[in-house]
Amino acid sequence: MPRVTLETLPDYARYLVAATEATHYPATRTVRLPRLELTAHVGPGALAEALGHAFVEAEDDEAEPSAECRVFTVHPGIDGIPEPARWGDAHFTEYGFAERLAETGLRGHYFHDLDFWQVYDPQRRVGVQLMATADAFPPWEPTAPLRAFLHWEYAARGMRLTHAGTLGADGKGVLLAGAGGAGKSGTVTAGLLNGLDSVGDDYVLIDLAAGVTARPLFSTLKQDPQGFERLGLRQRLGTERPLNWQGKHTFHIADIAARPVPAALDIVALVVPHIGGGETSSIMPVSRRDAMIALAPSGIMQMPGERESGFRFFGDLTRLLPSYRLSLGTHPEEIAGTIADFLTRGVP
Amino acid sequence: MRDCDAYAVASKDIVFESFDGEAVVLNLANGKYFGFSDSGSRVWQALSSGVDAQALIGLAAGGSTIGAPELGHFISQLLELGLLVRSEAAAQPLPGELPAELAATSEPLTVSIHDDLADLIIVDPIHEVEEPLGWPAVKQAS
Repeated sequence: MPRVTLETLPDYARYLVAATEATHYPATRTVRLPRLELTAHVGPGALAEALGHAFVEAEDDEAEPSAECRVFTVHPGIDGIPEPARWGDAHFTEYGFAERLAETGLRGHYFHDLDFWQVYDPQRRVGVQLMATADAFPPWEPTAPLRAFLHWEYAARGMRLTHAGTLGADGKGVLLAGAGGAGKSGTVTAGLLNGLDSVGDDYVLIDLAAGVTARPLFSTLKQDPQGFERLGLRQRLGTERPLNWQGKHTFHIADIAARPVPAALDIVALVVPHIGGGETSSIMPVSRRDAMIALAPSGIMQMPGERESGFRFFGDLTRLLPSYRLSLGTHPEEIAGTIADFLTRGVP
Repeated sequence: MRDCDAYAVASKDIVFESFDGEAVVLNLANGKYFGFSDSGSRVWQALSSGVDAQALIGLAAGGSTIGAPELGHFISQLLELGLLVRSEAAAQPLPGELPAELAATSEPLTVSIHDDLADLIIVDPIHEVEEPLGWPAVKQAS
């Protein structure tokens, strides 16, 4: 099995792209996303299934200039596809890996446990996901498939996949930021169950070209069993579906939303939820410093590469929006009502 | 501290943004975030710009006066955290507006570390070889 070092990494990455393109592996799925048409070359299996239901497909919009990108998800056994190489240097850091590739205009990610490679050429908009076998991908991949490629593609165009939830009404919305366990997902689900809109929970696409605009990419929502029960989802959705790798129930926005997912939300505030402990919810101003610290770390560290550009992007985003702390009450209807009032009237 | 104490940002991996006078610093290499109090933000901005630390002693800040021990402790923290290094370059003069900005602050000199990456390390492992273990050895979340 070949070994790749920081020295040989760019050559190996370019070799993977060339070898994969030469296979003429057929495309099996095209997804229309905001300003992007993603064509995935993928064989049958869990990844292909995920591509079929994990995205919120964008409507045709001739006013929005679009680009096309291709991503090949391949493995040995497909004619011309090599065995994945292994990392051969004494040390590996995600940051050093990404920096080395960026020096040569490429983007990439390597997950050691599976010898799982992702390489993207943003200039040619071609990517390769090389796996040891057809199902040798990280367990989180089906929830937001090919997210690294979307991250690189959109970052190259000044937009950003952002680890945040959204809730909105009448085209206006709030961005919910915070580390895992802060209450983002429960808040998004509570809002959707009570008539609010959302363009996504875990990852949304943010554009700062005209204010702060959030657009949907992934349709998946997650809840741990306690939240699933508390929000009444067990009765509504049943429990037949297997739990994901985190032991959480997964479902989709369309399963619980009153309306179709909007094409975009104009974001009017950055909101940092936290479990308040009180009966009722409240929204109070919070410093931009604290809002930035809630928003940026997971958004940057969950995505390979583009760390400095991400820091600057989230800094700009934070300056554009007023920031608030949302102390969450205990009743989903009341939480949703508090956010709906906030969107309608501003801070109480 | 020396007679003339100048410092510089430790590396190009240390990046920072300021929000309403409050600084947020990120170490790109390890993903650690640092938040400063209002007076700490002003002092960080001064020190990272090469302002002589000695010139800060005695200025009003955070409802008190910056003393040499307090400033020395703060600078030691920044050095230990890998945010600043000592600089041999000539120190920069104290910006004219800084004394008034410091006098308007209400919090003591502090820096807080935000290392919320424990769960992310599992999702997005950082690997380091440990000789007795061989390759690969996954760094465990603490």
